[in-house]
Amino acid sequence: MALLLMALAGAICLLFALHIAVGAKPLPLGTVIEALLARDPKAFDHSIIWDLRLPRALIAITVGAALAVSGALMQGVTRNPLADPGLLGLMAGASFAVVMTSLVFGPAMTNWAPWIAALGAFVTALAVYAVAHWTPGGPTPLTLTLTGAVISAFLAALVSIVHLLNEDSFDNLRVWLSGSLSGRSLETLGVTAPPIIVALLLGLALAPRVTALAMGDEVAKGLGIKTGPLKLQLLVVVVVLTSSAVALAGPLGFVGLVIPHVARLLVGSDYRWIVPFSALIGAAFLLGTDTLARIAIPPREISTGIITAMVGAPVFIQLVRMRAR
Amino acid sequence: MSMVSEKGHIILRTPRQGLALRLPVWGMAASALLVCGLVLLFAASMVIGSYDIDLPTLLATLSGETVSKSIDNVVWQFRMPRALVAMLVGAMMACSGAALQNVTGNSLADPSLVGISQGAALTVVSAIVVFPGLSPDVRPLLAFVGALCVAGLVQALSAGQRGPSPVRFILIGIGLSAFISSLTSAMLTYGNIDRVMSALAWLAGGVNAATWRDVFILSTWSMALLAVLLLLSRSMAALRMGEATAIGLGAEVRLVRLGLVAIGVGLAAVSTAIVGPIGFVGLVAPHAARRLAHTGPALHLVLTALCGAFLVAAADLIGRAAFAPIQLPAGLLTALLGVPIFIVLLRRSARAQY
Repeated sequence: MALLLMALAGAICLLFALHIAVGAKPLPLGTVIEALLARDPKAFDHSIIWDLRLPRALIAITVGAALAVSGALMQGVTRNPLADPGLLGLMAGASFAVVMTSLVFGPAMTNWAPWIAALGAFVTALAVYAVAHWTPGGPTPLTLTLTGAVISAFLAALVSIVHLLNEDSFDNLRVWLSGSLSGRSLETLGVTAPPIIVALLLGLALAPRVTALAMGDEVAKGLGIKTGPLKLQLLVVVVVLTSSAVALAGPLGFVGLVIPHVARLLVGSDYRWIVPFSALIGAAFLLGTDTLARIAIPPREISTGIITAMVGAPVFIQLVRMRAR
Repeated sequence: MSMVSEKGHIILRTPRQGLALRLPVWGMAASALLVCGLVLLFAASMVIGSYDIDLPTLLATLSGETVSKSIDNVVWQFRMPRALVAMLVGAMMACSGAALQNVTGNSLADPSLVGISQGAALTVVSAIVVFPGLSPDVRPLLAFVGALCVAGLVQALSAGQRGPSPVRFILIGIGLSAFISSLTSAMLTYGNIDRVMSALAWLAGGVNAATWRDVFILSTWSMALLAVLLLLSRSMAALRMGEATAIGLGAEVRLVRLGLVAIGVGLAAVSTAIVGPIGFVGLVAPHAARRLAHTGPALHLVLTALCGAFLVAAADLIGRAAFAPIQLPAGLLTALLGVPIFIVLLRRSARAQY
């Protein structure tokens, strides 16, 4: 296990360097390492690295880890292999809240964006769960996914209406809404990184109890776990992770769905391992897809959210098919 | 000719009882009501707008007089084709939903939820972006091919070892539509900006650029497809009771299923090709029709079509009048209306276990 962990960390370092090296102006790896170790303020290449590429790579790592862990915890708590912050409407809620507040208070609220997004995600999560809970079958994977999908559609329609009504003021939000990592500065990362790190650590601390919870509420209660408070804590962790990730990179679908399953394939069903592995694999995955998004069609850039959906949706379909057997 | 009334039906018989016609009173009343509503809505969408026209002027214009050139223009060239396109598209999407709900045995099926509209959108967008020279006339055909591929794919992927399951059908549809939407967005980021703009205008799902040619295309296709659907309506009723019962009742189940899928996909594809994706009408209209009147399958289809026409025409009218001069595409308003209804339906019908 430790060996696997080391290998993953190595892979992340490699992808990190690659992410920084490739791009509109390819830089040799030597320059990258040199710039990272000793920055020369006059060298143009060093400015590219420090001002443009490094923030983006760091954001990819943070967002990837946050979304993957959030998905893993959701899947554990709801015992639903199809749980994903995007599919269950959390991302739509976060984007909706951000768009609405910038409609009312103007776009000068970047610092507040994570908290507003968190509020939106929290309310939407509760709404989706409540609707699914009231259906005759209770919150099954089917009802949760369907409710998440339609509530997302509803919020997306509202967001489009706001777009149409205020065409000019929403140009910058439009890029953000498609799930893009470009154009973020280190400052935005500085605002959102602390809550993400705290939430990640909390997730790690709660992971052993999630393993018990994943075996069923009765089992968890039998093992002396207070399931109610634990679920609430986990919901807070999930919401903080998701909404900070959305605030940083816009809605990136399917990362939270796919990565925990990959982790489960590697390490089994113990959440003490699933959570850290999800974080690492998620970081590596998003670094990789973001590199791909930047170099796939050279002069332009595809939004990273598009690539994650292209990779994630087939995995989702496969999961549905596997459950059916 | 004799007339007998019996439990909500009127029965007309020829004197020697060689021929009898059983008419459901409430169903007929409901359709008459909807037709009246449609006529009112039609008149309203002729009158309301940035250029005010009062009712007498409208009636004069409609009867062929030329009150003024500009009024003639507004009514005949802009508002009338637009209202007609909205109604036709609504009827088509509604019947497409009815056919798909019947064939999947799933009351939550909707062409825009399971990826069929998205498949049509992908082929049309790629045609606009990659082959801009292609005439818009082939769009319905392209949309049909795309939609059919997606429908086939969803069907094939959801066919498990225990036979097709309606629930898996929807989940796989959701996954597939996410995948297809990402391909469409990729097409939109990658493509030439001018072509992308025209694709985007189409994608918003509005009927604001409707012309008489669109009316012509839509009415031809809907006439053909809806006629076949009406012919299949008896087998649809049999299918609603389950496959085994339907076979026992003598329905050609395989053939009927194939026909229903083709028609459902065709209706959704053609209307998507003309106005872009309009969501949730196919979901809402069949249920609304059932709520209005419990009737036989053929009349239910008629009611469904009328409900759909009313929904989309109303959505379009509200969308262009509420925030004038900004026009909200009808597709957005139908989504806003459709989602709460979907949730109510979900609460009622989620007995289908995963």
